[in-house]
Amino acid sequence: MKRLIVVSFLLLFSLLSLQSFASEDHSDMHDVMAHLLTPASEKIWNASGFIITEEGELSLAPTNQEEWNEVIFGAKVIMESTFILNRPDRSQGRSDWIRFSELLEQIGKKAFEAAENKDPEELFEVGADLYQACVACHNVYMKK
Amino acid sequence: MTNFMIKTIFSTFMILLSVNSFSHHAFTAEFDANAPVNLTGKVLKVEWINPHAWVHMEVEEEGKKTTWMVEGGTPNTLIRNGITKQSIKPGTVIVVRGYQSKGKLCLPRCIANGRDVTFPDGRKVFMGSSGTGAPRDGADPRERR
Repeated sequence: MKRLIVVSFLLLFSLLSLQSFASEDHSDMHDVMAHLLTPASEKIWNASGFIITEEGELSLAPTNQEEWNEVIFGAKVIMESTFILNRPDRSQGRSDWIRFSELLEQIGKKAFEAAENKDPEELFEVGADLYQACVACHNVYMKK
Repeated sequence: MTNFMIKTIFSTFMILLSVNSFSHHAFTAEFDANAPVNLTGKVLKVEWINPHAWVHMEVEEEGKKTTWMVEGGTPNTLIRNGITKQSIKPGTVIVVRGYQSKGKLCLPRCIANGRDVTFPDGRKVFMGSSGTGAPRDGADPRERR
């Protein structure tokens, strides 16, 4: 019984420590990324590409208008996020911040056009551009 | 008893670490620069998806088969580097150098970040992404410039 109490205590202590260690950053920018840009980007990333197995190739491209509409939604959010990111208190007049943000408007527009044209190849290309834009900005501004 | 407690706490810690989702991340958020891996095995599946391609491979060590899921760069980056649908088909035996995920329980599969891949003809190609915070280990040709 004594052993069980000790182990339980240590387990609880371990869990609490880990919870504290792994607790999410809820800064303003983290939340914009986590709740706005990441889900929008995933609408684009998840709607293009393919999976190859020994059985063959599976395309991830949308197959109906409803699925394309999801991409359109994501693309629009990416486009409009430029203005959210460029809010003066966020951009603080930093020229590269503004440049990275404006890049998202261009990429979102390309994704929007690809979705409107139902062009999965173009969407695939835009998805890579989107990631490169994310990495470029994160390399400067994301806490390591 | 001490061993039992240590094992219990360590297991709990590792389980909780391993359930962290793999999203779009910096290298250091998900992978362990101190856990290099060198994997030889047969390609099972390749996911050509953004923002990272994933190569699933079966690695056999001491008679035990383990499935590894290896993260690469964007599909476009891989294609530019010469890794194509034809060169990395299922069944191809490849060697991947990279770093294991921070969670090492391998449930349901092991996860690693791939730095370079060597094909059966001896060709070695960078398969990662530049600028993600991965160790400067010489795999990325851009780092040498």
